[in-house]
Amino acid sequence: MRTLPEADPGTPDIRGALRYLWWNARRQATPLLTGIAFAVLWWLAQAFVPYILGKGVDAVTGKDTGALMTWSAVLLGLGLLQAFAGVMRHRYAVYNWLAAAYRTVQVTTRQATRLGATLPKRLSTGEVVSVGNSDIAHIGNAMDILLRGTGAVVAIATITIIMLSTSVELGLMVLIGVPLMAAAVGPLLKPLHKRQKHQRDLQGELSTRAADIVAGLRVLRGVGGEKVFADRYREESQSVRHAGVRVVRVESLLEGAQILLPGLLIATVTMVGATFAVGGQITVGQLVAYYAYSVFLIAPMRTLIEAADKLTKGAVAAKRVIRILSIEPEVSGGTAGSLGGELRDLASGVRVREGELTALAASTTEQAIEIADRLGRYSDGRVLFGDTDLATLPIDEVRSRILVADNGARLFTGRLRDELGVRDVDDSLISQALHAACADDIVEALPEGLEAHVAESGREFSGGQQQRLRLARALIADPEVLILVEPTSAVDAHSEARIAERLVKARAGKTTLICTTSPLVLDRTDHVIYVEDGSVLAEGTHRSLLAGSREYAMTVTRGED
Amino acid sequence: MSTTILPVADRAQVRAYARRLTLKYPRELSGALLLHGLAAVAGLAVPWQLGRLVGAVQDGADINVAVVAVAIGAFLALQAVLVRFATLASAKLGEKVLAELREEFVDRVLSLPLSTVERAGSGDLITRTSRDVDSLSRTVRHAVPETLIAVVTFAISLGGVVLVGPLLAAPMLLAAPLLWFSTRWYLKRARDGYLREGAAYAQMTAGLAETVEGARAVEALRLQERRHRRTDDDISRSWAAERYTLGLRTVWFPCVDLGYVIPVVSTLFVGGLLYVNGMATIEQVTVATLLAQQLVDPLDRFLMWIDELQVGAAAMARLLGVSSVPDDRAPGTAQPSDEMLAASNVRYAYREGRDVLHDVSLTVAPGERLAMVGPSGAGKSTLGRLLAGIHGPRSGEVTVGGVPLVELPLDDLRGHVALVTQEHHVFKGTLRDNLVIARPGADADEVLDALRAVDALDWVMALPDGLETEVGSGGTTISPAHAQQLALARLVLADPHTLVLDEATSLIDPRAARNLERSLAAVLEGRTVIAIAHRLYTAHDADRVAVVEGGRISELGSHDELVAAGGSYAALWDSWHGTANAGVPAGRAES
Repeated sequence: MRTLPEADPGTPDIRGALRYLWWNARRQATPLLTGIAFAVLWWLAQAFVPYILGKGVDAVTGKDTGALMTWSAVLLGLGLLQAFAGVMRHRYAVYNWLAAAYRTVQVTTRQATRLGATLPKRLSTGEVVSVGNSDIAHIGNAMDILLRGTGAVVAIATITIIMLSTSVELGLMVLIGVPLMAAAVGPLLKPLHKRQKHQRDLQGELSTRAADIVAGLRVLRGVGGEKVFADRYREESQSVRHAGVRVVRVESLLEGAQILLPGLLIATVTMVGATFAVGGQITVGQLVAYYAYSVFLIAPMRTLIEAADKLTKGAVAAKRVIRILSIEPEVSGGTAGSLGGELRDLASGVRVREGELTALAASTTEQAIEIADRLGRYSDGRVLFGDTDLATLPIDEVRSRILVADNGARLFTGRLRDELGVRDVDDSLISQALHAACADDIVEALPEGLEAHVAESGREFSGGQQQRLRLARALIADPEVLILVEPTSAVDAHSEARIAERLVKARAGKTTLICTTSPLVLDRTDHVIYVEDGSVLAEGTHRSLLAGSREYAMTVTRGED
Repeated sequence: MSTTILPVADRAQVRAYARRLTLKYPRELSGALLLHGLAAVAGLAVPWQLGRLVGAVQDGADINVAVVAVAIGAFLALQAVLVRFATLASAKLGEKVLAELREEFVDRVLSLPLSTVERAGSGDLITRTSRDVDSLSRTVRHAVPETLIAVVTFAISLGGVVLVGPLLAAPMLLAAPLLWFSTRWYLKRARDGYLREGAAYAQMTAGLAETVEGARAVEALRLQERRHRRTDDDISRSWAAERYTLGLRTVWFPCVDLGYVIPVVSTLFVGGLLYVNGMATIEQVTVATLLAQQLVDPLDRFLMWIDELQVGAAAMARLLGVSSVPDDRAPGTAQPSDEMLAASNVRYAYREGRDVLHDVSLTVAPGERLAMVGPSGAGKSTLGRLLAGIHGPRSGEVTVGGVPLVELPLDDLRGHVALVTQEHHVFKGTLRDNLVIARPGADADEVLDALRAVDALDWVMALPDGLETEVGSGGTTISPAHAQQLALARLVLADPHTLVLDEATSLIDPRAARNLERSLAAVLEGRTVIAIAHRLYTAHDADRVAVVEGGRISELGSHDELVAAGGSYAALWDSWHGTANAGVPAGRAES
């Protein structure tokens, strides 16, 4: 078995769900075929047990000690073979399951990074995350069942041949009886699935309720309401209990039926077989063998039903995966180059001057975000970078030269040093950036400092701490043009003032745009652009605008005057 | 960083609890076990009848084949009926016990001490509520009944063999040491192996989720290669963990398989020899061999579920652990004489030896509006929590009307002081449900008044079903800003005498926030309000401002006094307001 994952998962076939599964199967053809071979061997070893058992009984009844020894040895040999083939089959089954699941994670991750900013616009997070939570398991199951399923077909075929060659009547009886039995429980399956679904839904709601209680526990313990919630939970818990019992009412019928139906067949086979045995048409051993066949055949039959189910679910999962894989990024770039310089948004008239720190105050945050998105080429618009149309530059070059840092961006899980150091930098640069973002105290408070592990995408940090760390990360990236969207919205006034001061120094001589309405920040920039209704209304220093533009004053002093 | 504050119950506690639970419903339990036992007895009939048949055919004795066949059919039908009712009985019991378990757990969660709730963070508790409750469900629903049934069935089948011929039962024991030792070897390693496997798998899927959620950031910061590498590393780790458990199974599975086949082979062989030597009948040999085959099923079930029992016990330990959190307050009987809130010489540390508050004293008069400002990490929120009675100080005391807050019973404390933080939560339910938590008896007018007080009436009424709109998980989405308004409306309904607002309007659009604070102030006239804020107008509007720096109150006084004093508050205000002279600000006349 080769090590997983593959270095290159390859290009998936996204023309259809079955094609995707087939593509996976072909990528792992050797382990898949090896696994199938072991599965066939495993089933065959089991299928021959009744036959050998019958031979053994015949040897006993014939008081043939030699033959008894031989058949016992063969039976033991079959047991050894079954144990060996069984574990090998299992190993290959796990390998194939994982190989397909891992590959799907790899191609989905690569697609997510290829889509970048397009992804949140076109897909809900839940849709993609469900790939990790359930779809990869279904795709893995589809690969896994190929092994056992193929083996089951071979096992059924083998037993058919053995039985028919001994007694056509008994053989036919078993062959027709077993699928009939499998089909006879069919009518129970539909109500069972319905009740199971109902129970799962209720269970899901109950889990949501519990999670809700935990998430809101501060509120409940702070202002009261525990009893209301405890009662509500109890009520829902009891309906889950009753739904569970309703499921078992059908499930237990199914269990009973799965004893009764084969029981009827076993009784019939025994009766006919015994008649033959009494009449001397078959040996006692063969009678025992027929009994054992009719018991054994249930297993491969069930495997076939399982295979149909798993392949269907695998195809549904594959369909969801290829839906994600077939999306294309929204913006595309060209091949031109640019010497850089001033960044100009023609629609609004916003000019980000080269080598200077400009502030943009918009009457609503949405306008600022729209402008920032155009300037960073996250959406289409007429933007000039120096004298080049931004749309003609390759996307990757735009991303490397212009960084839009917004509050939607999260930290990633990992070592803090790595998560801040988005490019290779030494510690002195990291600590400079942390200082500029007023984030040095956060790192100092961590027992392991920069070596600390950021868990859960940094959710353990408060909103303000996350914002300052993100700002530090953007400063470390040190792009030619940095566009910051509301970088201090979650920070207290004291820190805000300090950050503004340090930011000016940290970006001295570099093209920078800060979208903000905080007077503490605006007061520290040289040039402020005021935007209303999507275009520039006034420009100047903070204090001159404050004196000269009533609209500006209203926006930044927050309706105070 | 992630500190597990919640304890885990020890082995003895789990055992005692499991025992108590098992014996709690003796009638239901013994009924279910009896039914399963009878079903297993009925299951012995087929090999027995088949053995008779073989014996008769062999001896050439006269036997009515039809009678035997009908008997087989009848016994199997009986077994089917018994299994049906046995399964139902044990499932009913299981569901009942399970419901009790989770309800008790939620009750325990709901009575966690305030200080634990505030400090523990929700990660650990959420894991316990979701994953541990789930794995315990699986254990109670499946693992416990399956293993019990397996034990009963196995014992009865083995008993059957002994009855048929004790000599024939002997060869089966050959398999026992193999099964025993290999299973012990496996179980010793399995639990950690599977925990690691589960963790590695979860890390992989969490990594995928993170890439998806941060897709824009990945593109902006050009982290594509890094994310690919991260995914591949996660997969490698998962693969290594999977390979370890696969290795365990590679040893254990063949041992178990052999353990199943040895009894069949040895019974046939030894039985055959005994028959040849006239020490057993053909009937006995057949029955014993078929029973040996039949033993595989319960044995297999038992072995497959046994490690699930371990998982269930671990989950149970974590669920029970929640109840071992010691209570954080010992309520006394003293009644506050008035609503004067006072902190005197208060020190507090989250970690030993690292005080975050140094000797802070502060008195807040009834009806006063106090604003706290200061850099983050200065101890504002900690002081707020102490003033709300959530934590007790390390030294010094915080009192209301002369009685320490932590000596008030929780229900009384809530009547005096309540805390709203920037963390907001919208509960699943109707909007009305979300508001009346604090006062279950509140009528529609009171609810509407509360909403009006926080400027939320308009948008609430614009919702499709107004107050009856389903919100929270799965319902209409409420923006963080609106959620903060709801939290405040809830507090208005709760109507405590003192409110501690920790950045309670930080997510609301600045201009709207100021309006909200003003209309809220009108409703809260006469109430004491302590507001921690990062927006300076909150300070400007307050009666007094406390500047908290480095765990101390560095400046305290009215806005005008502090501006006149020319300290750090004055500098900040100047910069904020944009007036060069630090005199009376323009907005003052209005407010």
